[in-house]
This record gives sequence, C-alpha cells and structure tokens, in this order.
Amino acid sequence: MTALSPSHLSQDQIRRQYVIRSSLFLAGYVAVNMAAIFGAFDDAKPRGAIALALVVAAPLAGHIWALLAYMRDADEFMRAVMARRFIVSSGITMALTCAWGFMESYAQAWHAPGFLMYPLFWLVHGAVSPFIRSSN
Amino acid sequence: MKNQLKVLRAQHGMTQEDLSQQLGVSRQAVNALETEKHSPSLDLAYRIAAVFDLPIDQIFESPYEKPRKNGRLK
Repeated sequence: MTALSPSHLSQDQIRRQYVIRSSLFLAGYVAVNMAAIFGAFDDAKPRGAIALALVVAAPLAGHIWALLAYMRDADEFMRAVMARRFIVSSGITMALTCAWGFMESYAQAWHAPGFLMYPLFWLVHGAVSPFIRSSN
Repeated sequence: MKNQLKVLRAQHGMTQEDLSQQLGVSRQAVNALETEKHSPSLDLAYRIAAVFDLPIDQIFESPYEKPRKNGRLK
C-alpha cells in the first residue's frame, strides 16, 4: 500500500532535521559566547560591540526558525501540541519577566539581564510540556 | 472523537508504527487518535478511511445527534 503522506520526508526525518538544525545553531551560540568570555572581542569598538551582540543573538533567531520549520513540517497532531506548548510557555515567560521587571522598578530586585529570557522560556517549556499532551 | 481505529488496526494486524507510516504521521499521532487526544482534520480522516477502505462514518463516531426541531445540533 502506498504511503499517504503529504510530505516527501518521513516524520522521523523531519524530527532529525530539527535536531541537527538546533544543534548547529546552539553550537554557534555557545561558540560565540565562549569566544567572548575568553576575550576574543575585548578590543571591539562600540560599533563592533553592537555587531557582536547581534551575532550572539542570531543563532537564537536561527533556533526559533528551526523550531517553526519543524512545526510547519510535522504532522497535524505534533504541530497542534507544539503550538500549544509554545503559546503557554511564551505566556508564562512574559508574565514572569514582566513581574520581575516591576519588582526591579518597585521592590529593588536585582537587575536580570534580558538574555536570560531565552533559557527561561525553554525552562518553562520543559516544565509545561508533560502537562500538554493533547491537541483538544 | 470516538473511533474504531484501534480495533481496525488490530483486525489488519498493524502496529501503530505501521499505520503511522502509511498515513505519513508520527506514531504519537496515531496513539493520540486512538486515545481520543486528537480529533483528526478532514484530510487525515480521509487518509485513514483510504487505508482501511471504509467510509469515514464507519471509523469515526459523530459527536452530534440528528438536528432537533430548532435545527441546532445537539
């Protein structure tokens, strides 16, 4: 019997593609950060520093693209579940970061750097995922 | 959505993996359909019907009763 898949890739191949893309982008993120930590960009002029900040952030944008591409290519159940997890995680992350921002403004909480939002999002995503396993 | 997927799959001697490959979806999707954690799109319902060579209404149970007097679905 012929497979009735609308995609030329199997779901396993699509998942593997996502893992490879994510690994490459996150490896790039780690590499640029390690280089910065070990002083590779210490002599950067102001313009260079802005470029460096964008270069560090670019792999994260790439990682989000890899996830969205995975959602586009995955089957309808996985797409629905991933979308729900993404939306819930984004909402919780926004609520937490807003709450922390107000705590900084009104309760003298220590300043949390903005780049912590990305790992926080994935931390929340990992926490909510076991509870979101249905598309209904 | 209630369905006969698990029964039909067993009758055809298929595993969830076999059926998922024929449908072009993940094994998790087949499992979610069988456990009513996912209501299929019309496209997927037609693909399932094609695999088992059955009309859709013999695989999926309609959640709606016949229209009442006011014409609204129950």
